[in-house]
Amino acid sequence: MSKIYFVATDKLSFLIERLKDTYTVFSPAAKVQNYTRDTDYSFQKHSSRDPLVFNPYRCVEPLKSFFTLSKEKASDYFISADNLKDLGQVIIFGVKSCDLAAHRVQDYVFLEGVVEDSLYRARRENTIIISSDCTAYKEVCFCLAMDVLPHPTAGFDINLSPLNDGFLAEVGSNRGQELIDNYPEYFSPAKDTQVSARAAKRNNLIERLKRDLAPKKIPPTSIQQRLVRDGFNLDTWNQFMQTCVECGGCNLICDTCHCFLLEDRKTSGTNEKIKMWDSCLYANYARVAGGANPNKLRAQRLRFRFTKKFDFFFEHLKMPACCGCGRCIEVCPGKIDIREVLKDLAKKLNLAQ
Amino acid sequence: MKNIYKPIEGVLENIITESSKIKTFVIRPKEHFEFKCGQFIELTLPGIGEAPFTPSSDPAVKEKIDVTIMNAGKVTSILHNSDKNISLGIRGPFGKGYPLHKFEGKDVLIVGGGVGLAPLRALLFGLFADIKKYNKIVFRYGARTAQDIIYKDQIPVWSAKEGVDWLTTVDVGDPSWKGHVGLITTVLNDLPIDMKKAVAIVCGPPIMMKFVTLKLLDLGFAPSDIYLSMEKSMSCGLGKCGHCRIGKFYICKDGPVFTYEELKDVHDIWD
Repeated sequence: MSKIYFVATDKLSFLIERLKDTYTVFSPAAKVQNYTRDTDYSFQKHSSRDPLVFNPYRCVEPLKSFFTLSKEKASDYFISADNLKDLGQVIIFGVKSCDLAAHRVQDYVFLEGVVEDSLYRARRENTIIISSDCTAYKEVCFCLAMDVLPHPTAGFDINLSPLNDGFLAEVGSNRGQELIDNYPEYFSPAKDTQVSARAAKRNNLIERLKRDLAPKKIPPTSIQQRLVRDGFNLDTWNQFMQTCVECGGCNLICDTCHCFLLEDRKTSGTNEKIKMWDSCLYANYARVAGGANPNKLRAQRLRFRFTKKFDFFFEHLKMPACCGCGRCIEVCPGKIDIREVLKDLAKKLNLAQ
Repeated sequence: MKNIYKPIEGVLENIITESSKIKTFVIRPKEHFEFKCGQFIELTLPGIGEAPFTPSSDPAVKEKIDVTIMNAGKVTSILHNSDKNISLGIRGPFGKGYPLHKFEGKDVLIVGGGVGLAPLRALLFGLFADIKKYNKIVFRYGARTAQDIIYKDQIPVWSAKEGVDWLTTVDVGDPSWKGHVGLITTVLNDLPIDMKKAVAIVCGPPIMMKFVTLKLLDLGFAPSDIYLSMEKSMSCGLGKCGHCRIGKFYICKDGPVFTYEELKDVHDIWD
């Protein structure tokens, strides 16, 4: 079992101030002053002397936005040296279990396959992820239905679990251990009672979430690949596409969606290749020169999004490219709900629970 | 650290007009560059954009590459109106190309349509380099009209080679054209091949590939012996950007050459 430490709330604040000497520290900030049950949190550069804000659930932005920027320079032209500029060391607080599950997909795309993306690799190596347990959830949250627990189990460097007077800090990697070893004065070994308290809190949240999710009857991961395969020709796609305005929000906010486009631009006399996030809901996503487009219809594009998430990634990674974070549900102006699409497929295929 | 999105520089050395809408661009890479027949590259007009093409020159020639391009979109129309000696970006080569070793000892049927002859020219050079390894090469080429035929002065040379059986057909005839008139599927009957040891390679517009594939299946070709050159909206070339996905494949890294066996259960491959 990995090592678990205790860090008191005030000590954590001191630690963050110290960390800022070496790292750029990002942490959650509430989007409104007065907290309510549905307050949104956003990753912000940690400002001086502010206490750490504990986000009870995931932030608005996907974790991917730290590793692939929405729009950035991919390459120069014909300049021999193309060294990566010094990226600096980054620490992110407030990452949640769903973000980490989704990040498995990003890592697969950018670190595995034919060749790895060196800029992604460099950012990955320069970034320390300090995740934390969820202590509440949003209406749109459905991680458990995607087999993702509301507390991190892997993929973090250090995970924080809130207790009354501080946090349990679980080590998830060598890098996490090194960080704690470098600042030993802030940490003490966790007591068994504290670890039991963490387990109780975790179980309590899981039970609550399970109870809330049960009536929603979201089809389980075990049948999701079959749903999009057997449901390929169903009218589900047409039906749900009626309200799609092709904004691409569902893809851009998605923590697993990784598609990008390479484009060229001229800036002050030099040419650059630009890499920017793309969306398979955009009409020209699959269009080729001459005008042919295999995804001409919005319904085809919605289906493309689902076959990518629930067929392609089950095929290659044995998991769906969906972590149940619900960001796409919140962002959609057409109120297209990924849970409802899966449920409709299940109903029409007589696989509903 | 290698930047996987960075193009190498190539100088546009010559432009050859093949037909009213098709030109061959001869590019001399400034760094070492080589490809296998059937692999593709992303060719960039710096500051304007890039597009995927399969080189049409002999893969054994390393110092320059030919890319035969139809004027069809933004990048290609600017290229068609360019002058020589400009700098172009080259990324690649990408994909797997043709598995030549699997064609050895076989009757190799190649069916090309329109500008689809361009990538097939690189394949032909690849085959010609070791022509004795293959039983015979039967080529059937279809163009819309006689004016649309590309590599006009090279086809007679290839046709005359020992072990090559060539026939060109045009969809629409005219008084200047003395050859066969009819769709490509009309010249696939009574092929001089032994079906027991034949493979077929098809490259052309999607609609042509669809009907040729159906015809080949009719003739008794096994789906695993039909090699198709697929084209979708390839961007990164590395299986990362997502655009060229069909089913569980990315055309760019898993193809662009697939057997029909691999694709037969994938939806909408001809769209």
